[in-house]
Amino acid sequence: MKVTICIGSSCHIKGSRSVVEQLQELVASNNLGDNVELSGTFCLGKCQQSVCVTVDEKFFSVSPETVKQFFESEIVAKL
Amino acid sequence: MNDLYADIGYKSVNHYGEQLCGDHVDIVEQNENSVVVVLADGLGSGVKASILSTLTSKIISTMISAGLPIEECVSTIAETLPVCSVRGVAYSTFTIIRLINNQTAEIIQYDNPHVIFIRDGESTAYPKTEMNIDGKKIYRSLIKLRENDIFIAMSDGCPHAGVGNLYNFGWKVEDIASFVEGLVPVGFTAKNLSTLIVDECEKLYGYQPGDDATACVVKIRKRQPVNMLFGPPANRDDCDRMMSLFFSKAGKHIVCGGTTATIAGKWLGKPVIASLKFERSNIPPTAKIEGVDLVTEGVITVSKVLEYAIDYLNQNRLYEEWFFQENGSAQISRMLFEEATDINFYVGRAVNPAHQNPNLPINFNIKMNLVQELSECLRKMGKKIKVIYF
Repeated sequence: MKVTICIGSSCHIKGSRSVVEQLQELVASNNLGDNVELSGTFCLGKCQQSVCVTVDEKFFSVSPETVKQFFESEIVAKL
Repeated sequence: MNDLYADIGYKSVNHYGEQLCGDHVDIVEQNENSVVVVLADGLGSGVKASILSTLTSKIISTMISAGLPIEECVSTIAETLPVCSVRGVAYSTFTIIRLINNQTAEIIQYDNPHVIFIRDGESTAYPKTEMNIDGKKIYRSLIKLRENDIFIAMSDGCPHAGVGNLYNFGWKVEDIASFVEGLVPVGFTAKNLSTLIVDECEKLYGYQPGDDATACVVKIRKRQPVNMLFGPPANRDDCDRMMSLFFSKAGKHIVCGGTTATIAGKWLGKPVIASLKFERSNIPPTAKIEGVDLVTEGVITVSKVLEYAIDYLNQNRLYEEWFFQENGSAQISRMLFEEATDINFYVGRAVNPAHQNPNLPINFNIKMNLVQELSECLRKMGKKIKVIYF
């Protein structure tokens, strides 16, 4: 599974650093490093929403507060 | 005309407790390749010294760059300077380094510590002719320039550092020369070299300098162009034109901005690989595109570069931050402040609709101001700047 997080200007200001670090931490603590590949990308063109994240090309909008929930429902549940 | 470039930088530290510096450095560009640098040290310290040295350096730099002979400069100074009521003399020592067509250096010295000349990494002796003008002993030298030549002019506050405290006779000029020899291989800029010398003096004085100390460094180096792409063009149809102009230039290439990087990647036919490595600082991570030397985020990264540039021109206190870190701003700063001599900015004027939110610190006007302020700072560093808008 490939998870891509936007690190462009807008998403940076909305907390993409926190989203990235939380996801890295969650992937590591759940031993999912072999199954989940985290990577960065620049602008995905949906800056009006929260931090842009895609999971296998499917688009999500995640904020630092909703990372945990997103991780459970969109990553763990779909592996 | 050759492809040499003179990197000039200086730093002063004031006599302990004084608000003004009694040393003054004045730099006057005669034309693109000729420049006159004057370091003057006024008698005493504080206001009086500051006035003496400012007058002296201004008079000399103006007269020399207008092509007047040194004899006339000296007599003008002697007639103009106010006479000190305590000591009954009008006095300011000076060092002149004049670069002619970036081919020859003319050095004229009066009572300052002699200029240190470093060639091929070693402190080197050079011939001096003694002249007697109005009873003043003045030394004149002519040196043919080569790449990597370094000239260091100082006020006597530098060799006096640590007198009677850490050293019996202060930090001798030979010792300063070997201190600098050790730093040459690192490739510091003129500004950073002068900062390191003056910081060392301040340390030797126990952070309470007994005199104003100034070091002015002139470093001769090869020209190195750097090109920076910042923002997508206002009109989408201009993308190809902008990219082909940018990538056809010689030298290093920096791409700033997410969308800009995507356009550059598409034009080159290479993927943009963003990294997720955050550093301690809150600067967005960088990315990689094959064929581009550096890819970074846009406005946030460049704002930090501007902050470093302003500091570099003043007290230069943040240089350790950008000198050692690996984040985007630090890398751009190193390329622009240290490596580059000629910088071409390719600035796109597209308005990112998502950025036009008054709550975001990254709107269009901020972006345009950034480019203007940064190019102004880089010009003050002595670099040749071109800005092209799309």
